[in-house]
Amino acid sequence: MSTRVARGGTALTLLGLAGLIGLFWLSFFWVSTEVNQGIAQRIFYVHVPAAWTSFLAVGIAALCSGVYLWLRDDKLDRAALAAAEGGFVFATIVLVTGPLWGKIAWGTYWTWEPRLTLTLLLWFIFLGYFMVRNATEDPERGKRFAAVVAVVGAIDIPFIHVSVLWFRSLHPEPVVARVDGPALPPDMLRTLLFGVAVFTVLFFGLFLMRYAVEGLRAEVALRERRSAT
Amino acid sequence: MRSTIFRAVGLALAMIAGATPLLAQSAQLGQQSLRPYWHVFAAYALVIVIVGAWAFSIGKRLRDVESRLAD
Repeated sequence: MSTRVARGGTALTLLGLAGLIGLFWLSFFWVSTEVNQGIAQRIFYVHVPAAWTSFLAVGIAALCSGVYLWLRDDKLDRAALAAAEGGFVFATIVLVTGPLWGKIAWGTYWTWEPRLTLTLLLWFIFLGYFMVRNATEDPERGKRFAAVVAVVGAIDIPFIHVSVLWFRSLHPEPVVARVDGPALPPDMLRTLLFGVAVFTVLFFGLFLMRYAVEGLRAEVALRERRSAT
Repeated sequence: MRSTIFRAVGLALAMIAGATPLLAQSAQLGQQSLRPYWHVFAAYALVIVIVGAWAFSIGKRLRDVESRLAD
């Protein structure tokens, strides 16, 4: 079963990597250059999809963790772990590409404004997820503690989204998820949506592979226990 | 002949002296206008490095656990 999941994950990952090449081509050679920010605005096509993917991953991790706390099914814990790792990786991309764009757009790599601070907080919460998981001697206890961290950590996501609307902020307001519809020229919107699709496929591919690793590890542990008895 | 060489060298030196501030200025302007390109390339390169590192790490863990299972 896990081997089949791993194969499916590998195929999706390869599709995602091919899509990433396509996204780079669109970003560098097809989409028009934004008038005010110039070339630096092209970071948008990797920064925003990475943010969307990290929110999706953290959401999946929180959902699986919440249900795990209820049902205590190890498959849910494995899925939560795989998603949390993805959330952490894509949040890292957000946190490194954002400052590179910020230096050109705002003149500084970092400022302690609400959205940036809350995104960094999310990153630290998910760093804590892995630390808590491995901090206890009883693995079951570690899984439960980590599940609580994932559920609590996901509460940060809506605050990240509304922070630019609630507070005076350097970070621009949403340009796609708006009540009055997207405020982007069609070519920029298409490139962005393609980027979101590519990052989502890439995440699900790697998520399935990571989930398969945990499934196979559980199988190895089961075999070792059986051979010991 | 000699005076022609002196004149040519003098003219060249004057041109270089006159052009030095311009060269420095253009280099500075060049750096300013190229900076966003470096940031864009760095951002895209980091995406490849981070996603690649995660994919590589998962692939390695998958191979390890599969070989343990095969033993």
